[in-house]
Amino acid sequence: MTPPGSIVITGESIAGITAARELRELGHAGPITLIGAEEHGAYARPPLSKAVLKDDRADSTLGYRLDGLDVDVVRSPAVAADVGRRVVATADGREIGYAALVVATGARARRIAAPGQRGETVLRTLDDARRLRTRLDAARSALVVGAGFLGLEVVSACVARGIPVTVVDVDPPLRRILGPFVSEAITARAGDHGVRVVVTPAPATLTGDPVGGVRLADGTVLTADVVVTCCGEVPNTDWLAGTGLAGPRGVTIDQACATAVPGVFAAGDVTCLHTGTRTPFWSTAVAQGKAAAASALDLAPAGPPRDDYFWTEILGLSLKVAGPLPPRGEPDLAEGSVPGGSALLTWLGGNGQRTVVAYGKRMPVPKLRALAGQAYARLRPT
Amino acid sequence: MQISADYDRCEGHGLCAEQAPAIFELDDDAELVHHFEGTDIPPEQLAAARAAVTSCPVAALREVP
Repeated sequence: MTPPGSIVITGESIAGITAARELRELGHAGPITLIGAEEHGAYARPPLSKAVLKDDRADSTLGYRLDGLDVDVVRSPAVAADVGRRVVATADGREIGYAALVVATGARARRIAAPGQRGETVLRTLDDARRLRTRLDAARSALVVGAGFLGLEVVSACVARGIPVTVVDVDPPLRRILGPFVSEAITARAGDHGVRVVVTPAPATLTGDPVGGVRLADGTVLTADVVVTCCGEVPNTDWLAGTGLAGPRGVTIDQACATAVPGVFAAGDVTCLHTGTRTPFWSTAVAQGKAAAASALDLAPAGPPRDDYFWTEILGLSLKVAGPLPPRGEPDLAEGSVPGGSALLTWLGGNGQRTVVAYGKRMPVPKLRALAGQAYARLRPT
Repeated sequence: MQISADYDRCEGHGLCAEQAPAIFELDDDAELVHHFEGTDIPPEQLAAARAAVTSCPVAALREVP
């Protein structure tokens, strides 16, 4: 028998943890069960590709504490849901009933190895980061497939560790997300650091078994001691088979983080917006965790289910970004110096929205948001 | 409960200041200002303080029991 008001959260992600915290903050006094698949418990992922690859002292500093939240943690992954009976089944054989369910199972690394091809290296979990760090200890060369944020963060770790590195993609570095201007600046910076950037007209495939290289569109094969796939992520929806909740781009949510199924809400990297857009960013996961918690309690969320702020660290340079993406063409306003590694870049959008990039320049997010014309929706009066 | 801040790790994102503006602030240079450094967080601020710890993308904030 499900106790009245029971709320189940699947996934110890930042979205799941934020939802748990927000439920209590909004006054929910009933049971909360958090179903997690991570052996190490909940932890922050952004430092994995930034700090952990370079420094083993970072490993033990990433965990989240759930003190004072009175949350029942089940450390066994959700394997099925029955949205008619309102129960979630876990790998260890339990069935957990809910009045409201918050789906926050996140995403996993997309893999590109051929069926049966062994030894593909990806980076998504703490274990992945530790394994990759150990392999880099002995590596004399590295190859990174994918020149997005994650790929370039791995490239940066290799450069910081003195390992010659090549990065391969169908687009120039960061171009899909940050447009041509920033892409060219980052490509120049990569060249200055001795990074080899290879743009190939069709996706590269992995060679070797175990994997030891890539084949480019023209048939050229590149090899390296370590090959890392950084080709995006796949929402973790397998356990939702038969529920009608999940499509190929994830669990579709509306402005309130509600799904098409009564009593089921979703937040974080597992979701896609009703427009079809995926926004797998940290700030969005926080915003959605809060909105899903409010909706699960039948309250109106105080903020929208997305937050266009994110950041990366590339070759010793921090990039902080707010506003719609990708910005097109040259920035309308630029102060500071891009080659000098400290600039504030602004693109004016057609509808009064701006995209603002703090390029190597320290700037707090409220100021960046204000420049971009975003209002941060505070959920609580303070 | 106190909260310690690792200033070397802090990148000046400021998400903590959005979660708990009575506790954290960022100055114009995005340097963190911690209003309860070394002292207990007041009970009415505990929930906001814990949300701030969780929201930090670089895990620079820690609860100190």
